[in-house]
Amino acid sequence: MQEIDQFKERMDGKISHLIDKKRRFYFNVESENLREVAEYLFKNLGCRLSTATAMEMMHGIEILYHFSLDRAGQYFCPRVVITDKEHPKVPSITSIIGGAVWIEREMFDLWGIEFDGHPRMEELLTLHHPQGLKQPMRFGRTE
Amino acid sequence: MGWYKRRLAKSLWVFHVSGSPCNNCDIEILDLLTPKYDLERFGIKLVGSIRHADVLLVTGVFNQKVAPKIRKIYEQAPKPIFVVGVGTCMSGACCFRDSYNIVEDRQAVIPVDLYIPGCPPKPEAMIAAVAKLLGVLNARN
Amino acid sequence: MSVNKIPVGPFHPLLEEAEYFELKVDGETVVDIDLEIGWMHRGHEFISESKTFTQSIFLVERICGICSTSHPLALVHAVEDIDNIEIPLRARYIRTLIGELERIHSHLLWIGLAGHFIGYDTLWMWAWKYREPILQMFEMITGNRNHYGMMRVGGVARDVDPVIIPKLLEDLDIVDQKMVMIAGAAKDDPVLRSRLKNVGILTHQAAVDLCAVGPTARASGIAIDVRKDDPTDAYDLVEFNMIVQKNGDVYDKLVVRVLETLESTKIVRQCLEKLKVVKGPILNDVKEVSEGEGIGRYEAPRGEVFHYIRSDGTNRPIRHKVRAPSYVNIPTYVASCKGIPVADALITLAAVDPCYCCTERTIQLIDANRNPVAVDLLKLSREKTEQVRREIHD
Repeated sequence: MQEIDQFKERMDGKISHLIDKKRRFYFNVESENLREVAEYLFKNLGCRLSTATAMEMMHGIEILYHFSLDRAGQYFCPRVVITDKEHPKVPSITSIIGGAVWIEREMFDLWGIEFDGHPRMEELLTLHHPQGLKQPMRFGRTE
Repeated sequence: MGWYKRRLAKSLWVFHVSGSPCNNCDIEILDLLTPKYDLERFGIKLVGSIRHADVLLVTGVFNQKVAPKIRKIYEQAPKPIFVVGVGTCMSGACCFRDSYNIVEDRQAVIPVDLYIPGCPPKPEAMIAAVAKLLGVLNARN
Repeated sequence: MSVNKIPVGPFHPLLEEAEYFELKVDGETVVDIDLEIGWMHRGHEFISESKTFTQSIFLVERICGICSTSHPLALVHAVEDIDNIEIPLRARYIRTLIGELERIHSHLLWIGLAGHFIGYDTLWMWAWKYREPILQMFEMITGNRNHYGMMRVGGVARDVDPVIIPKLLEDLDIVDQKMVMIAGAAKDDPVLRSRLKNVGILTHQAAVDLCAVGPTARASGIAIDVRKDDPTDAYDLVEFNMIVQKNGDVYDKLVVRVLETLESTKIVRQCLEKLKVVKGPILNDVKEVSEGEGIGRYEAPRGEVFHYIRSDGTNRPIRHKVRAPSYVNIPTYVASCKGIPVADALITLAAVDPCYCCTERTIQLIDANRNPVAVDLLKLSREKTEQVRREIHD
């Protein structure tokens, strides 16, 4: 894949733990480089942000973004690992991609991850929840 | 109240509330109005406001956010009102039993008079249920 | 001029589902729109972590009753993606057959509802009448009208009995004829045209920025379709066209859906013909799923459904992410609703074929006291149609 090679060359040193499976390309990225990677993928390559998955692992909270390069049927998945479980914080990519607003709000809602620079950092699904449900997807928060 | 119920049993006006369903029951309820099943031949009509309704159709497992609103709708309904719970979700929470966001005691939110199980119930089953409800209402007089 | 807020929902007669909008209006013009969702959040992603992959299929089916085969398909694609599991040819055709039949029934459902919202109840009754044969075809193939339970990791659960194929083809011909009739009626009608043309435009740029998918994106000139871009199942073995329009208004969204339905009947016919000759098993026995992660997607009637599975080698996922198409399509309201009259807002909101059940997998019911406002919105929309009709006839 020509796009992947280009991408690897351009982002040399900024991406690690590359996994190149059939039309799925996963890699790790540090949170300070996230905006640069997202901008390159969205603006230069013309990817579409499908969604982002947050998950809590033993070693920290992972956010896996899914960028879809539709003309090639290829997925680019940058992974950000946050080791600070108490106050997870990453830069927001909403200023680059308008479609990320709800996606980031949902992660804030269900995992409590804060996005730096998000225009409206409030709950998406549990806004005005009568029982005050907070971050139900974190370990130990649900029965 | 005898005269009131007798009138009620002739033409039921139905209001439909969806409390976190998967939409399937709701679509099947709408399907009842279309030419194939045509529920209007029994004088049954879907109305746009709870204040005109004699029967309240409820679908879905209630999540905690929607439950107070459903209670409010029930309180605003003119009495007597008959509540019909459509679908397995209403009668047994379907596969959402383990969720963190559902109301476990749905009877406490809204007192249900009649359950129609099925996921989703067939339109024929719903017609049979409504016909039965009509029978019960007529017998009460 | 002061800006007024019109609250709509959560329970209102427009959509079957509960959702809450706040339209900010200046006189008769919508200046902004805000949504509150969460009325249908049932926590599928959480429940799924305690279910096996086969049990999960039944769970994700119940995310949404209308696209109830798209979610299972995306899920099995995700699990198959972990280990590159191949599936038998016959199963590939059956999957595509079920998927396309669902697209026909979903698009007909939307066309009917769109007619209902602008006061064309005839269109509603027509569309839903001819949707019935499709549901009966489903009953013949899978045993149920909705929630088919056909997908399995490695194939499908039930075979299509060759005896019923001629009957299915016959029914399909009827639906096809009626679709051509509805398409003709919808496209030639002057009232419909003046009511929908240039209403609620979603520009190409806004659609790209908001990452819209499916018919919403294709009506705005973005040529994306998972069936073409990343073909799975039998999509690389059948012939069909991707329908792309360029204006992005409600009329184009209608055209995209109508034409897509006709394409789908083409695919269904090809699949049924193939099922007459392709024999073989329908299920590869998958004993275990290895450790790793997989992405599965499928073009649901509303756009791309996305499932992500992370497995640790056991029979349950440690993380299962679901992204439904409406989740990215609903935020496009903000772009398409600005600057249009209130009477047009309704059909614009309905034009993306929103499915809140999917969006939240998990949506608000507003104070029932405010219901009259919503009634007025529906009334406004219908009165405008009446007015347009009178103007045209005079």
